[in-house]
This record gives sequence, C-alpha cells and structure tokens, in this order.
Amino acid sequence: MALEKIARRIPSSSWEVTSERLIDIVLNSKHANKMPSGLAKTILYYWQRDQLASEIGLQRLLEASLHIDPEKTIEALKELGLQELVTVLESH
Amino acid sequence: MTAFGIEFVPRDLYWKTTFYAIQAEKTGFNTLWITDHFNNRNVYVSLAIISAYTDKIRLGPGVTNPYLIHPIVTGQAVSTLNEIAPGRVVCGIGVGDRTTLHMVDVQPSKPLSTIRESVEIIRGISSGRKMKMEGKVFTILGGKLNFKVETKIPIFIGAQGPKMLALAAEIGDGVLINASHPKDIERAMMFIEKGVIKAGKKLEDLDIAAYTSFSVANKLEDAAKAVKPVVAYIVAGCPESILGKHGISMETATKIRQAIVEGNWKEAFSYITEEMVEAFSICGTPEMVVEKISRLVKVGTTQIVAGSPIGPNIRKSINTIAAEVFPQFMSKEEIEGD
Repeated sequence: MALEKIARRIPSSSWEVTSERLIDIVLNSKHANKMPSGLAKTILYYWQRDQLASEIGLQRLLEASLHIDPEKTIEALKELGLQELVTVLESH
Repeated sequence: MTAFGIEFVPRDLYWKTTFYAIQAEKTGFNTLWITDHFNNRNVYVSLAIISAYTDKIRLGPGVTNPYLIHPIVTGQAVSTLNEIAPGRVVCGIGVGDRTTLHMVDVQPSKPLSTIRESVEIIRGISSGRKMKMEGKVFTILGGKLNFKVETKIPIFIGAQGPKMLALAAEIGDGVLINASHPKDIERAMMFIEKGVIKAGKKLEDLDIAAYTSFSVANKLEDAAKAVKPVVAYIVAGCPESILGKHGISMETATKIRQAIVEGNWKEAFSYITEEMVEAFSICGTPEMVVEKISRLVKVGTTQIVAGSPIGPNIRKSINTIAAEVFPQFMSKEEIEGD
C-alpha cells in the first residue's frame, strides 16, 4: 500500500501531535544524514506554509522518519495509539 | 523595543539549520545570523537556502571576515542575497574567529584599517557605484557590479576591543558586541558613544546588539552543559583586556585555544569553569535568562542575539524563548511582526 494511503489512516484529531513526534524523530535522529535532500526540501516547503500538521505534511514526515529511523517511528506511532497504522506498516 | 536575533552555526545538515531558521521566523525573532568559519558549511550557501524558505526575518553573515573573503566578494554575496530576499539582508563583518584563522595560519593584521576599508568597499559596491580605492590594506583599480541592488544593506560590525567598538559605532549601521555580561556591555557603550560622537550621529540611530552565547533549558545544569563548548571557543579567542576583567589568565586561554586547534575537545572543555560560563554566556532557566537579558537592556542594548548553542535541544529552546522570554520584552504585535 502506498505511503499516502497509509498516512491517511491517521485520524485528523492526531495530526498535530503526530507531526510533533515525527519532527522530533527527524531532527534528533543519529541517522538524520540519511534524509534525501529532495524530501528535506519538500518538508521545508510545507513547514514554511504551516502544513506539517496537514495530511500532505504528515505523509512527507512519515516518509522521512521511516527512512531515517523506522524503529523509533514505529515506537512513536504505538505510543500515540496508532496501532492500525503500525500493523499496516509492519506488514509491508 | 528590544529586538531579538538568533545565530546558527551551519555545522548541522543544511535542512536542519533551515528548519530552525523557519521556526525562528515563526516564533518572532527579528534577525537571523549565520556564522562564517571555513570548517562549517558555507555561510552564503546556507543563507541562500534559508532566504528561499523564509519570508520576513532579516538575515546575514554574523560575522564574515575580510581575511578569508575579500570584501568585494562579500559585497557581491550580500547584494546577490538581497535579490532573493529584498530588503531583508544585513551584513555582519568583523576580524573573525582567532582560533579558526590560526588553523589556516592567517593573522588578522591591521584590524582597524582592514575593517574600515572593508565596510567602505561593501557599501560602495552594493550601492552600484564604480569602486576605486587605494587604501592601507586594499586596492581596487576599478569595478562595479553588473546588476542593481535595490535596497541599502545595513552593515553591522563585530567588535570587542575599545578601538573597534568606537570604529563600529562611527561607520556601522549597527554594532555586534561580542559579549554576554552587562559589565562588558556597559564598558563597550563608553567606546560606542565616542564613535557616535565622532561621526556626528545619534546613539538612537545605531542598532546595538549584545551578540551572546545563549543556552536556555528548564534545568540549569542542562543549559550549562550545552554552552560549555561555545564558552571554550570564546575564551580561546578573547583579548587579554577582557579576560583580565573576569579574572581569567591569558595562559589558560592559550591552553584552551591550543587544545581546540589540536582537536582535544575534552581537554579544552575541562578548563571551563562556572565563572567563565557566567562571564561569557546567557545561560540558565527561562527566569535566569530573563533576568540577565533585563540587565543587558538596561545598559543600552537594542538587540539581543541568542547565539550558539541556543540550548541542549535547539527546537525546544527556541520555543522556550518564544513562550517565556519574548513576552517579558515585546508586545504580542511586536512578536507577530505586525
């Protein structure tokens, strides 16, 4: 399943808090240098426009955090109660 | 009104520095300074990408130096940046960081003449004039930019010693006082006033920034731990006259500088005492930091630059500054930039 469809499973009530967690993972990871430059620029584009807590912003953040630190991302999603999302991600 | 600037050292991945720059703009910082050391990411590349992803924050090198980059290139660079971010560019220039200049065996000779002529060159070239100069340091036989610079670019001069402070006030649009302690700022103001009088200017026309090393966290020990490496660099590059006022020997400063040059970070940081942190940084909990800033404002600063490291976690510390420091010094409209 494409990442966009997976990200759409995040309920809108959790967009803000999920965005915050994923941003923390992306900024603080020891593997941050794995971030593809194009994806980084896309995230910056959405950040500039206050859209990191929107559906499209979350898709890009999820893509980035899974790329940089999949274990921490899964752990964060579990802590946020997004078990359905975790199940889909782990099955891929 | 007290304005707040922020400094980033582009030691981090470009997109992280840019992320924090966007955050700084959103939270109400007025000016963003990017440091210029050869061993970090290039200052103008960093500024170019930041200017593309921000909309209103002022930005510029803080500070470049005319020993590694000819001022005509600095004039070219800030003029080009002004095309990407019209009206938002500022140019900070100074003699540079002694430690990194030492690494490439560059001596900051004739500092006063070098800075005076550099400012003249940057102003001249960015004003569209054909530059011609026969100075004590620089010679320009004739040259001008092939493009127009639409807005004037304010020049801030980084200064610490008496003569440079006076010069900065005389010829600059702003002074970046390399100090964090009210005692040092108060002393600096004496020399700034001399420069302002010499130029026939008013003190109110000058932007007087305390360019501090800054670290805020909910626990003092976390803030102190983050700031120690930066204080080490500051002590290593500090003039003897300033060190003496804080009871620090030149011998200690030299040992720290040598350790840094050799890459012995543990040894360099081991020399840093609580007294040095107090003297050369604004460091502590939000309440402690507010108190220290108040003292700087009282002695005449118009801009507080929150310099590296900002805090143990940059994103959290920027939010802490916005939530707990800004409201003590700025109105809601001033914070939102209305």
